Amino acid sequence: MIEVKEEDLIRCPVCDAVNINKGKENVCRRCGSAIYRHRKFNTEKSWAFLVTAIIAYIPANLYPMLITSAFGNREGSTILGGVVLLWELESYPVAIIIFIASILIPVMKFLILIYLLISVKYPLGKDKKINKHKLYYMTEVIGPWSMIDVFVVAILAALIHLSSVEILAGTAATAFAISVFFTLLAAHAFDETLIKDNR
Amino acid sequence: MKLENEDALDHYIICHQCFTLQKEIDIADGTKACCAECGGLLYRYDSKLIDHTLAWSMTGIIFFVLANAFPLIKIDLLGSEQFITLPKTIASLFENGFYVVGFFCIFLIFIFPLMIFLINILIFSLLKMGKGEKATKELLILLSHIKPWGMADIFFISILVALVKLIAFGQIHIGVSFWALMIFVMIDIYITKNIQLHEIWMLRKRIFLAQKCEEATA
Repeated sequence: MIEVKEEDLIRCPVCDAVNINKGKENVCRRCGSAIYRHRKFNTEKSWAFLVTAIIAYIPANLYPMLITSAFGNREGSTILGGVVLLWELESYPVAIIIFIASILIPVMKFLILIYLLISVKYPLGKDKKINKHKLYYMTEVIGPWSMIDVFVVAILAALIHLSSVEILAGTAATAFAISVFFTLLAAHAFDETLIKDNR
Repeated sequence: MKLENEDALDHYIICHQCFTLQKEIDIADGTKACCAECGGLLYRYDSKLIDHTLAWSMTGIIFFVLANAFPLIKIDLLGSEQFITLPKTIASLFENGFYVVGFFCIFLIFIFPLMIFLINILIFSLLKMGKGEKATKELLILLSHIKPWGMADIFFISILVALVKLIAFGQIHIGVSFWALMIFVMIDIYITKNIQLHEIWMLRKRIFLAQKCEEATA
């Protein structure tokens, strides 16, 4: 017979098995993977990925995402420019999708992750008004959807490929893909058990 | 809370969404258990999980091959017809020097979705034969690492967005591959979102535990 406190139970991030929190060297009893073993620098990894993502997000907004060249005219459009253009062409649903996927979701993810990372270190939002686990779950679910714009550019660039009319991917596509990749890594690196410890 | 030993923790489950501890209960075949706190899906019970998943994964692979072999979208542009296939889309990124985006695309919309299906087939055929206790464990760990990175569904929505943007350029024809990809994405969503890894781990435990009991009595 063993006696455990309910607060000491944690979930293995790999196989979902319930484990007893034994402190620094947690190893999952079912799949054998380490459960957030780097306790000494538990949020730093996530911070590092997040800062990289934010840095990559700057050129993603400044450089052109899509370069259209028609009969010698080269015209580049940034992410925001593309949204405005689509709005003016009255294709509202697509404009809204692109706006949500490439501006709203990344920015929201940055803000939520920053809030979570700060709140597990400092007493912030301890009043339980916001369910932080739900917030974290939400960032995990909506995160990958910001890749939409990159895929759209890839499809357009592959399809419109004539000598007179041509669509090319811009520098921002690379920067944006890197930014999304690092936000996903930052979300994965976040130690969910910290929320519990600081509640 | 008192427990017999550490293995008794298998009767508990922590909700994915809100991190509350829940006790596992027996539920009827074909139903699912939801979290009492937030309503999120905890686990389902399917007595024919092995056969169902094998059938779905094999169907998925067939449609994946179809989706790659035929043209995705065709467009009449200034009198010449252009078309893309899924591999051609990725290849053209490499041709234009977008190696980083190309690598992301190769992994996110080609290799990872395919791997999820192949690993599922492997795990469930091994479980059906009742072999490979260690192999299934490694495969399950691999599966859980890959699962968040399969983005076939997002690629499909991107095609729809691209179609709307293309209307301005010329006459668009939707290819065979588009429909194949649509079915593949639906199966992919069922496999990745509906079948919880927890169920496979519990199934694996039951199968190999029953085997050990038989060996002990024999």
